Amino acid sequence: MPPATAVKKVTGKSGDLRMFFGGSKPSASSQKSNGSSTAVARSGSSQTLKPTQSQKSAAVAISDDDEPPKPRSLKKSVNALAIDDSDDEAPLKPAPKPKAAPSQAAPSKKRKPAVIESSDDDDITPPPKKQAVTSQANKAKPRPSTASKAKKTDNDGDFDMKASDSSSEDEFVDDDDNEDKPRKPSKKKKLPPPKKASPRKPAADKAKASTSEQGPKPAPKANWAAKAAKLAKGPAAQGSKPIPDGDPNALAGLAFVFTGELTAFAREEAIDMAKRFGGRVVLQPSSKTDYVVLGEDAGPKKMEAIKKHKLKTLDEDGFLKLIATRKVKDSDLDEKTRKKMEKERAEMKKAVKEMEQREKAEQSTSKAGKGIDPKTQLWTTRYAPQNLKEICGNKAPVERLEQWLMDWQGSYKAGFKKPGKNMMNVYRAVLISGPPGIGKTTSAHLCAKLAGYTPIELNASDTRSKKLVENGMNINNSSLDGYIKGTQGGGSGDIPLTDRTCLIMDEVDGMSAGDRGGIGALNAMIKKTKIPIICIANDRNSQKMKPLYSTTFNLSFQKPQVNSVRSRIMTIIFKEGLKIPANVVDQLITGAQSDIRQVLNMLSTWKLSNQSMTFDEGKDMVKMNEKYHILSPFDITSKVLGPYLFSSTARETLGEKMEYYFQDHSFVPLFIQENYLKPTPSRLKNFDGVERQLKELELMDAAASSISDGDLVDALIHGPEQHWSLMPLHAVCSTIRPASSMYGAGAHYGTGNPISFPQWLGQNSKQNKLMRQLGDVQIRMRLKVSGDKNEIRQSYIPALFPHIVKPLVDEGAEAVDDVIQRLDDYFLSKEEWDTIIELGVGANQDEQVLKKITSQAKSAFTRKYNAAEHPIPFHKATDLGKAPKKLAAGGPAPDIEDAFEVDDEVPDDADDDKGKEDQDDVTKDSLIKMPKRKKAAAAGATAAKGKATKPKKA
Amino acid sequence: MSLWVDQYRPRTLDELSYHKSLSERLKSLAASGDFPHMLFYGPSGAGKKTRISCTLRQLFGAGVEKLKIDQRIFLTPSKRKMEINIVQSNYHIEITPSEAGNYDRLVIQEIIKEIAQTQQVDLSAKQRFKVVIINEADSLSRDAQAALRRTMEKYMSNMRIILCANSTSRLIAPIRSRCLLIRVAAPNSEEMSHVLDNVARRAGFTLPEEAAQKIVDDSGGNMRKAILVLEALKMQSPDLNGPLSIAKPDWETYCHKVADMIIAEQSPAQVMAVRSKLYELLSHCIPPTVILKTVAERVVDKVDESLKADVMHWAAFYEVRMRVGSKKIFHLEAWVVKVMSLYKHFFYDIDMSAFD
Repeated sequence: MPPATAVKKVTGKSGDLRMFFGGSKPSASSQKSNGSSTAVARSGSSQTLKPTQSQKSAAVAISDDDEPPKPRSLKKSVNALAIDDSDDEAPLKPAPKPKAAPSQAAPSKKRKPAVIESSDDDDITPPPKKQAVTSQANKAKPRPSTASKAKKTDNDGDFDMKASDSSSEDEFVDDDDNEDKPRKPSKKKKLPPPKKASPRKPAADKAKASTSEQGPKPAPKANWAAKAAKLAKGPAAQGSKPIPDGDPNALAGLAFVFTGELTAFAREEAIDMAKRFGGRVVLQPSSKTDYVVLGEDAGPKKMEAIKKHKLKTLDEDGFLKLIATRKVKDSDLDEKTRKKMEKERAEMKKAVKEMEQREKAEQSTSKAGKGIDPKTQLWTTRYAPQNLKEICGNKAPVERLEQWLMDWQGSYKAGFKKPGKNMMNVYRAVLISGPPGIGKTTSAHLCAKLAGYTPIELNASDTRSKKLVENGMNINNSSLDGYIKGTQGGGSGDIPLTDRTCLIMDEVDGMSAGDRGGIGALNAMIKKTKIPIICIANDRNSQKMKPLYSTTFNLSFQKPQVNSVRSRIMTIIFKEGLKIPANVVDQLITGAQSDIRQVLNMLSTWKLSNQSMTFDEGKDMVKMNEKYHILSPFDITSKVLGPYLFSSTARETLGEKMEYYFQDHSFVPLFIQENYLKPTPSRLKNFDGVERQLKELELMDAAASSISDGDLVDALIHGPEQHWSLMPLHAVCSTIRPASSMYGAGAHYGTGNPISFPQWLGQNSKQNKLMRQLGDVQIRMRLKVSGDKNEIRQSYIPALFPHIVKPLVDEGAEAVDDVIQRLDDYFLSKEEWDTIIELGVGANQDEQVLKKITSQAKSAFTRKYNAAEHPIPFHKATDLGKAPKKLAAGGPAPDIEDAFEVDDEVPDDADDDKGKEDQDDVTKDSLIKMPKRKKAAAAGATAAKGKATKPKKA
Repeated sequence: MSLWVDQYRPRTLDELSYHKSLSERLKSLAASGDFPHMLFYGPSGAGKKTRISCTLRQLFGAGVEKLKIDQRIFLTPSKRKMEINIVQSNYHIEITPSEAGNYDRLVIQEIIKEIAQTQQVDLSAKQRFKVVIINEADSLSRDAQAALRRTMEKYMSNMRIILCANSTSRLIAPIRSRCLLIRVAAPNSEEMSHVLDNVARRAGFTLPEEAAQKIVDDSGGNMRKAILVLEALKMQSPDLNGPLSIAKPDWETYCHKVADMIIAEQSPAQVMAVRSKLYELLSHCIPPTVILKTVAERVVDKVDESLKADVMHWAAFYEVRMRVGSKKIFHLEAWVVKVMSLYKHFFYDIDMSAFD
């Protein structure tokens, strides 16, 4: 080891880039061979490397030499499960540890993993070389420009977590400030040399470093042009900062709250990061929060909370720095945590031992010819809880279930009259509901066994129709013997039945079309049963469950908390010899939404090929097994219009954004249209005053015209030719483009204007309804008026208004006769009068008008109108169809032709009188007389006819 | 006591006071016995329907005024019931296929064919053919128009079709070529004031010159509107002297309110306020094009000279889109936002080149 240091030192001092090429190669390879040999050798290797990079600080390297063993052993004890020295992953973890000397070791330490990691990545020698070279090149002061360029290309070319991990943090910060950050394009060219020099010093002094990194940020704020340039460049800041390669437990025991938008990371990434390094992320700040990470546009509520609780705040860089530099020693953790951890470990060991014993016992029985070898079982069966303690979460409901089963015989004797302390003993059955994979069926079986019952399970694989439930269970049979015999066909197999039998009806909500009447029969059975029945369903609120509400006690199982599942999973992992750290397990559990079964299945699959799992692998795994969940249009809208999806740091591709549209392609565009004006566009944040207003209008204009485009596309899709292949275009025009200009906070984050349901639907159906009614008005007026519907609405209704509505407002009941006369002239009925009122807008709006008409006038109008006969232009076709029925009650049915005759007379009269009219004999105009004649005609006709028409008018 | 506009509607071609030459031609066509399919087109309120009914009377005599209304029920392919109103006399039948919306093709196929296949039963009828009047022909879908083509030729012996439309632009060429196109132009102001005088005389009073002029100016060539306004004015101030204020219809006032809102403030909140007003208008059966036209005209009145052209340009732009698209409000709103943006930019004297 000493010789290696010496060699490196020499090459380092020479300062020639080529020499680095030559010099670094052996170091990488030697390091590699070291890494793959023994643990002892590896501790050496990590030290050999250090000098390689930090030629300058040889002294530091030496001081480092003493450190590593200590933190490593510590690590081992902390991470009992995950540590395995022969493992590839291990060097990564202990490596950062030497950072015990935080100030000066910082730069050197960071370099170390770079090489190790890359050698891990791919086992060919060249890549490590490249890494080493670039990182060293950066170090070389004399050639800053080439160095940084090389660095950058390396970064861009192969950007993933590992690549970023592999380079040191301060280099990156450097890069950010100089190259990647678009804010100050003019400055950066000049700055590199001094900047290059600076980072090392700040790295030595944390406080200084953070200020120096924050320093540049406020500067551009004043510089408007630079800001515009930044805007123009778009989301270049994204990914510009590497995730520092800190201690995997760097953030252990800390609680974080994120607020606002970070520049280089999407919110989810930042949260992931915090979790990756062992931190906890909570949503709302409280006094227990350790740090609040502030981004741009932090929420005002969270700011208040920060002030209130006097919380420490971090900016993005501070957060990264914290990850990079913080170290947790056992002594750092307080007494409580340590004890807790120890206790956990002890418990886990105990559990494992128990499990092993059990398995041994089982194996012995299986050897005796009974049972199944546990090795061949699914993990879910193999590690199914064997006692109540092992059930994760839902302690209270499980206990109540057990208690209820214990008490069942007693309550049966008491006739289900005594409620008991849980109020459960009046029920003959319980209904367990909850999401899948949280142990409902398991708990039911377990409780039944523990309470001394033999469970019989009927699930969706059995037909459970009304007939079969009735016959199979033989519920009408009062004797238990009948029940026993009956169940022979009912799916219970050859389980000997006693009164200590318990029926578990699993997947009750799965009783569907094939099980017609099954629920009803089940319900009937529950009312009479002499054995306890446990029903299990996923969705208690489904319509099918209604009958069971009154007869069963509702036990809802919640998704267990991550902590309660974690220890169990960790035990299993340990038992299986997998090496997966706790934060990865957390990730799996959260990702599977606490579905224990799914986590176990994922792990058992994983074990087939791997022994350990990193955070990112865990994440991929979760993503692969992600349950497809459908978002409501409200959620989609707030997501799409919210500040994150389109922010510069968002990682979603266009396709992923469009996916939101395809979740509900008919509703989402309507929601976007309804709500796109609500957010405060994030794009405005660099504008003020008039500029801001103008920019906002421009954005609105862009969004609105895009929505308009979208409608044209929609017309093509839903038009006669049905171009469904245009849907992606519709997605972009109707949803993505508007949202991309208008996205921002406020659409649902504020309290004032939450996402609202699209008005279009209501307004459209209202329009259709009024259009139809207007059509009725038009056709009734048709005998007198030549105009179409639009003419009626635009000209006649305003013109008729003073004649048929105004008088009622002004004169009240006195005007009723005139109004009715006028209505009759145009063959309008009371219904049409209502329509005309309803069609008014503005000052003539229906409510306002109706308010002004006194109730006396209204009732007088209705009364008088109903008392008299009115001319009608035609019979509704629908009424004609029904006519015989209606008329049967009213008397002899009139000939339909008769009814028409009356109408036919009308134009006839007009015709006859036309001559007079031509002579300008206005007073004798037929149209004025006509209604009287009509009445006469009506009177002349049979009374039945009147009755025939009457019901319609009323 | 009908409104004057209905009461004094001309009933014969001779009574029609303007477009005399057109009336003469119709008269001679009716007399010739070789009556073609016809397409009447022109702005609303120009007298198309009146002219058609006068022509029918000329063809068949007073019998055509004996109207009755019938309702027919159709089952659409999706088993929905559609009601269609049919206005008919012994000699003609009048339908509005656009009542059936997307199913207008069915109406054309079923009713018109059915009518076309039966002969005139009334032996005393003056003509051997029946007449089918198709209202709102310009809102017929392409399918429906195509369905009409063959029927028009095949059943020529039994039936003549009279189409009534506001503009021929939406009618397919084959239909246009099968019809005799008759344009009924809006009356000019002298013709209008003559008609108004005539109505006033028949109603028993004399109309002052000024009032007539004012009404004519307000009506914009719509005869129906002019007579309705005349009656409203007469009700308001019986002597019709002195300063007259013509009451605007409710929807027009409302549209003006919208225009004023656009001018008053340009902000997202204001757009939402405008949107709700536009919804109100749309849902109360004011056609979107009318809304756009009325609002745009009002906006143009209020803005600076240099903006007028742009405002109208965009109004035209979005009117076309409204016709092509299905959700009218989207386009109306896009226009509103566009105008707001234009206005604000103009207000602060910012270059508007980005909008071209």
